Amino acid sequence: MRERLFPGDRVAAYVVLVALGLVTVLPLLYMIVLALQSDGEVQSGDPVLWPAELQWGNFTRLFEAAPFGRFFVNSFVMAGAITVSHLVFDPLIGYVFAKLDFPGKRIAFVAVLSTLMVPFFVRMLPIYSIFASLGWIDSYQGLIVPFLMDAYGIFLMRQFIRPLPDELIEAARVDGAGEFRIYLRVILPQCKPAMAVLGLFTFVFQWNEFLWPLIATSRTEMRTLPIGLTLFNQEYFTQWNLTAAGALILFVPTAIFFVITQKFLVEGIALSGLK
Amino acid sequence: MIRRRQALTAWLFLTPAVLFFVLLFFLPIGNQLLTGLYDADGAFTGLGNFTRAFEDPEVLHSFLITLAYAAGTLVVGTAVGLALAVILNQSLRGRTLFRSVLLIPYLTSVSIIGLLWRNILDPQVGILNRLLEAVGLPGQTWLSTHPLATIVGITVWSSAGYTMVLFLAGLQGIPGLYYEAARIDGAGPWRRFFAITLPLLAPTTVFVSIIGLIGTLQQFALPYIVTGGGPGNATSLYAHRLFIVAFNDNDFGYASALSLLLLVVVLVLSLAQLRIGDRADA
Repeated sequence: MRERLFPGDRVAAYVVLVALGLVTVLPLLYMIVLALQSDGEVQSGDPVLWPAELQWGNFTRLFEAAPFGRFFVNSFVMAGAITVSHLVFDPLIGYVFAKLDFPGKRIAFVAVLSTLMVPFFVRMLPIYSIFASLGWIDSYQGLIVPFLMDAYGIFLMRQFIRPLPDELIEAARVDGAGEFRIYLRVILPQCKPAMAVLGLFTFVFQWNEFLWPLIATSRTEMRTLPIGLTLFNQEYFTQWNLTAAGALILFVPTAIFFVITQKFLVEGIALSGLK
Repeated sequence: MIRRRQALTAWLFLTPAVLFFVLLFFLPIGNQLLTGLYDADGAFTGLGNFTRAFEDPEVLHSFLITLAYAAGTLVVGTAVGLALAVILNQSLRGRTLFRSVLLIPYLTSVSIIGLLWRNILDPQVGILNRLLEAVGLPGQTWLSTHPLATIVGITVWSSAGYTMVLFLAGLQGIPGLYYEAARIDGAGPWRRFFAITLPLLAPTTVFVSIIGLIGTLQQFALPYIVTGGGPGNATSLYAHRLFIVAFNDNDFGYASALSLLLLVVVLVLSLAQLRIGDRADA
């Protein structure tokens, strides 16, 4: 039996949960209402709980008012390329740290882990300067390269690979398989669930990334969706309906991610959060 | 022989990672150490940028409000996250759904969160004041009268689910036996909470606080989007000040020094967390 840790009864628990659940969800639902209002309704100064007529056209008008199609593509290229890179490198490096023995391993591992403590602000300015001299500002490589791998993903994969039985690797070695073949044929197929989690998390977090794309781009056509949306809002301040429509488009991957992972979301985040 | 081949393979596999971490982590940090020694005109100033930081009223202000922001977020956020975790650790119907729903803001882009709340809190078109007026409460000019507190509120709203998850993980580690024994001894639910749950969660609470502190010290995007650092410089947190020094004043030397000071604080906090974590495991 589970401990009733919360002092008080079941009803009180539900009251608190429903209240906080509503506080969490209602603002996001209001975003949908906002996106479907007419220009007159958003400018009237009277908040509208339900639009007189649902303005689905706002979603197409948005693409005419600003290059949101291009923002979407840019975000997709950035988040997609970074996700692919993580899926290629994180399991490989995680495998090296989990199963191979070699001189310098401890130092290399500590060096990778130590990067977790480095605030992005510390490496942001020099990377910006270098990329500026390379002509990489306003380029896809400029958006992508700083995030090709990270210590979180590597550590996550190492933790997942460590408990896999060594006998599998030994048997493959006896059969004469090379090290890369062992990784590709024996280890990688078992990593699929961990890689699915890693891939989904990487994509959603990069899709939402704000600071680096803000700095690494200045031309409108190279902006990503989160930046494009805030700039659009500053430029057309009163068009909250279009801003909300853009926010909904930005929210789509998060919603998909939520539906796919709902059952495992909490454990997944506990895993990545607790390292 | 096999060992040597394995070592060679290992370093071969590691080559991309070595390149990446050297070029995009360690060299940039080294570069910051050097850049921090030069002023905006490119003249060598030694530790001038660092001493300047300690005398700069703008930097001092940004540091102090960042501490206030961190303290507010930690106290309220930890309390809300802990309460949610304790409630959702019980066998309640719909538990999984509640847990997940509360995490949605954590997965949502800061652009959406910032713009959404700017709209909701707007004194002219915002819905929050109308709701308050509807139930007979006075409306507030949230972002002009209580800007920092409002930013704290939005931060708690967006991160409470994450804090909850960390506490849930901590709660799983408390043996049910303790509660059985306490119940046999006649301890009520409140007593059990304060005598068992809270003390045994201490390592998690420390972890949550330090992680939260490291995060809030680096907060940039939320005030940037919601208030632009204003009104005046009321919400110009440390990271925002650093950004302005770098990209508005184009003083990369000074900004480097500011980022190195941030690095020192974050390093100290991270190492403290590691040491406390080790002790909790032992």
